Amino acid sequence: MLSESARVTTAHEAGFRVQYPNSRERAAKIIALDAEAAKALEPVSREHWHGAAFFTSLSFSAPSAPGQTLDAWLNDVAGHAMNLAAEVAEADYVVVITSAGEDSRAVSVIAEACKLRKKTLVGLILTHNGPTDEQVAASLKELRPYTRMLVVASGADYIEAMLTALRA
Amino acid sequence: MLRKEQNDYLSQTGPGTPLGNLFRCYWMPALLAEELPENDCPPVRVKLMSERLLAVRDSEGKYGLIDEFCAHRGVSLWFGRNEDCGLRCPYHGWKYDVTGQCVDVPSEAVESGYAKKIKLKNYPLIERGGVLWTYMGPADKQPPLPEFEFCTVPLNQTFTTKRVQECNWLQAMEGGIDSSHVSWLHRGDLSNDPLFKGAAGNKYNMQDMSPVFEVVENDGGLLIGARRNAEDDQYYWRITPWVMPCYTGVPPRGDHPIHGHFWVPIDDESCWAWSYDYHPTRPLSDVEVAAMKDGKGVHVKYVPGTYRPAANKDNDYLMNRAAQKAGKTFSGIEGIGMQDASLQESMGPLCDRTKENLVGTDNGIIMARHRLQRAAKALADKGTIPPGVDPEHHKVRQAALLLKHDMPFRDGAKEALKAKQGVRQTSV
Ligand code: FES
Ligand SMILES: [Fe+2]
Repeated sequence: MLSESARVTTAHEAGFRVQYPNSRERAAKIIALDAEAAKALEPVSREHWHGAAFFTSLSFSAPSAPGQTLDAWLNDVAGHAMNLAAEVAEADYVVVITSAGEDSRAVSVIAEACKLRKKTLVGLILTHNGPTDEQVAASLKELRPYTRMLVVASGADYIEAMLTALRA
Repeated sequence: MLRKEQNDYLSQTGPGTPLGNLFRCYWMPALLAEELPENDCPPVRVKLMSERLLAVRDSEGKYGLIDEFCAHRGVSLWFGRNEDCGLRCPYHGWKYDVTGQCVDVPSEAVESGYAKKIKLKNYPLIERGGVLWTYMGPADKQPPLPEFEFCTVPLNQTFTTKRVQECNWLQAMEGGIDSSHVSWLHRGDLSNDPLFKGAAGNKYNMQDMSPVFEVVENDGGLLIGARRNAEDDQYYWRITPWVMPCYTGVPPRGDHPIHGHFWVPIDDESCWAWSYDYHPTRPLSDVEVAAMKDGKGVHVKYVPGTYRPAANKDNDYLMNRAAQKAGKTFSGIEGIGMQDASLQESMGPLCDRTKENLVGTDNGIIMARHRLQRAAKALADKGTIPPGVDPEHHKVRQAALLLKHDMPFRDGAKEALKAKQGVRQTSV
């Protein structure tokens, strides 16, 4: 008699995998850390996504009351300013994108918000503009302390590939 | 997640498919040299990338890989008689040399020239490092021979096995890239397996169960770094190289031999998992070779006389629930190789990736799929030679090392990641 494992690992049996969904939409927040990254992200943001929200820069405003800290705002592709802390609070995970050689220091503020809410931060460093090794190293150094997964990708097309793979 | 058409694109490697064309740019391990042990030995059936072939060794020791079936009426030449520099079909006596050229059609006079017009498809078959390699692409595009270190060191420093895995090649190979499963599935083996235990670096694996990952593209494929906290301001890095399309290396442990894999499609529902073990600077010890032959480390025990693992789907992989419960093995299956294979086969013969939910730490897999698709497309559109064909891309080594916090692993491990003759591996 065939063992259970032998019986169920045929192509025919694979057809009986239940057809109900096994996940619900997750809220991904995709944030460009610099202008070059924003340029690469902009066309991607116009595709159809499942709950992903795209932001192209970070700005700060003075504390709303004495004794409070600086407020951080994410600017979405339509130009609306959204509160960073609130966006991260409702995120399932956060992706930051930088173009190697650009100023990516904003990551620390985002990472702080992620840490507070225990959200995973994924970093993507684009090298499509042909940076030097030193520039790539500088970006890695900037993002490494904060990210659970850090990717260096040579093509801007990786943004879409990754987000599709993550069901963003 | 992959869409159905992407999944098919990446999984199918038969003739004329995009990934099939990609695979046919490379030298691939076809069989072990031990399978054709002497001149005029029995031929061996070999199916690769959905093509049925026959490996032969003639009276002069020449190797060949030819169409399995006789051009006359389609009999399998596996039944052929290997005699006097040719394989003779037992049905009506047609005879072929190792290039597939028909040299005798007994019913027709030699002078008629009939035999000259009959030629079976053939591919080159060459021996390197105890492995017989073939190249199944267009003859004018044949690249230089493979330079992977495991097949270029002296034979007493290297040991290679293969096992059949009953699922699509991609889900098998993805296991070789997926560093994040190691802390779970293989957690019991670090301290027990003779080919892993005792390395100083093992303690970092045990202390820090949630590694952080970095994925970097390199010329031939990818480098996947997993880092864990170590003493002072250092990280313990384990770096896995992937060379396109299907070579993966496991980061070393101490002075144990270095191991890794080739994942070669047989057809779309099965593949060969090749496992190599070598030491760059010293012969393997008798104890090490005995352990490898006994199925330790990345190797497996076999059903006698075959390359099928003794623990296989027919016996539920010898599932041991008591060992699982006791924490001896995490999945209840013994041995690293079968822990991987059992789970990958359980996905079905061809994994349905439309149903998967990847997380950020799966980026090694996401990037590998992306690069395969990109390379197959560039080959189809522009005839671009894909990464990993150039033998320089083969000269990469896996590494395990301590680096300062702010040091990018690709720079810090630059020398460690190079395969250099006479230089020991970098490992803790
Ligand atoms: S936890 Fe990864 S496949 Fe189930
Ligand atoms: Fe594994």
